[in-house]
Amino acid sequence: MIQRVWPIAVAVMADSLRRKVVYVVLVFAALLVVAIPVLPDYGLGVQSAVFREVALALAYATGLVIALSLAANRIPSELEKRTVYNVLSKGVSRWEYLVGTWLGILGVMAGAIAAFTIVEMVVGYFTHGEVMWLLWEGALATWLEMGVISAFAVAVSSVAGPVVVVAASLAAIFIGHSRSALLGGEGALAFEPFVPSLDAFNVVNPVAHGSGVPFIYLVSMVVVFVGLVGVCLSIGVFLLGRRDL
Amino acid sequence: MSDAAIRVDGARKVYSLPGKPKRTAVSDVSITVEAGTIHGLLGPNGAGKTTTLKMLLGLVRPTAGTFEVLGADSTKPSGRRRLGFLPEQPYFPIHLTARQAMRFYAALAGVDAATAAEQTTSLLARVGLADAERTELSKFSRGMLQRLGIAQALLGTPAVVILDEPASGLDPVGQRDVRNIMLELRAEGVTVLLSSHQLSEVEAVCDRVTILNRGTVAAEGDINQLLNVDGRTSVRATGMDVLPPGVASVSDDLVVSGSTWIFSVPTEATRTVVDAIDEAGGTIVAITPKRESLEDYFAALLASGSEEVAS
Repeated sequence: MIQRVWPIAVAVMADSLRRKVVYVVLVFAALLVVAIPVLPDYGLGVQSAVFREVALALAYATGLVIALSLAANRIPSELEKRTVYNVLSKGVSRWEYLVGTWLGILGVMAGAIAAFTIVEMVVGYFTHGEVMWLLWEGALATWLEMGVISAFAVAVSSVAGPVVVVAASLAAIFIGHSRSALLGGEGALAFEPFVPSLDAFNVVNPVAHGSGVPFIYLVSMVVVFVGLVGVCLSIGVFLLGRRDL
Repeated sequence: MSDAAIRVDGARKVYSLPGKPKRTAVSDVSITVEAGTIHGLLGPNGAGKTTTLKMLLGLVRPTAGTFEVLGADSTKPSGRRRLGFLPEQPYFPIHLTARQAMRFYAALAGVDAATAAEQTTSLLARVGLADAERTELSKFSRGMLQRLGIAQALLGTPAVVILDEPASGLDPVGQRDVRNIMLELRAEGVTVLLSSHQLSEVEAVCDRVTILNRGTVAAEGDINQLLNVDGRTSVRATGMDVLPPGVASVSDDLVVSGSTWIFSVPTEATRTVVDAIDEAGGTIVAITPKRESLEDYFAALLASGSEEVAS
């Protein structure tokens, strides 16, 4: 199983690293990080908190752009160009292909978010004189959420084109972060278990204000990540398995 | 008779999309390919060849039918592990070099790294890409991609190889090379299922053929049996200004090329015709069973199929 999943993941990573979009987004985001200290809200006494908050927001936006640019087009493009025929005819299962593709995207995301976090720490050190280790908690949360979003995008992309995938993913993010607002009154709260939430990955406040989150919370984030990714990829495997290629 | 390497039984595929009428791509196709043979799959566009192959390879979900490769259900991934496939007009990740692409497909085929390196070198040389193994695929011509497609299909030393239009995009030398590869594979005991529009290619290498038309099997059999014209013998003779009267009266399909006469006669008249040519001072160059070209057979078969449908 892993013999077939791993080469697909590595191929996705190698292909992704050749795409200019990853580097362009990273460089642009890094420039924005450097520019954080000139923000008008950069008030005395809360500079480092504002820096971390904006840095986390930039990491999120950067991760989202990279995740969607990689996940939305990968499978539709392979199906359209029929490169998938060479893969599946080698005895590779459709689920192995789907999971391998997602793992490759997850790997690229890990590299991109890690690189971006290093830039944030360097800029943070030179502007505030402190090593902002807490940014790694934010990076982990962002990476896990992007893993869920890319799993969702990969699942949708097994039956839809890139535009639909991006629209559906943005809608999922909106719904995932607006559960309480969307469900509103008490009557609708009964639906809460059916609306998956991405709020578990929101650690902006504790990271920005320097308290961080307990280790057990980080573990629970991973559990939520595994659960949501499992559901998304299972749906993707079901959809791709029923599709005529 | 050897065992079947590929067995398709009662294949049927009906596409049904919401709001659209159902479309039957394959009605009822059964194919048996004996191990160690080259089997041709022929048919006009829309006959159901590619859909049948896709069902066999698990790329399309069959509406009905069973599909076996070496006794295993080939619609399941485990049933395709000893199979190599060349898709029609194969595409590859173009940022890879030929060698990287081969290593990637070898890994998917479960070939260990050392064997993969060995097979990559030998297969790229076999298909004439030895000098291009470090060239990025974006710089490959159509014919080079086709050759690479054949090479990747042979990774892992498959026992069964399915080739969909292998000569597509190849120049005459490339087409000859592909034919030789197919013949070499047969000599090595590999079973080849060849789907092709190039009738001359099929005629040159296939032991048996299945002809599809309108989603069903229109004809199936030994290629010699299909093409030999019962009761007629082809004669090639030279050294005569005119055909002797006794020969001219029974000959048919007469062609004169320079001083050579080519015609067919009823098989039972062959002895008489040979004697008549000898007496006229002519020389017999060849006597063979009269054989129809695959093109003519194919056209006649499709025409009769159309008439049946029309009536």
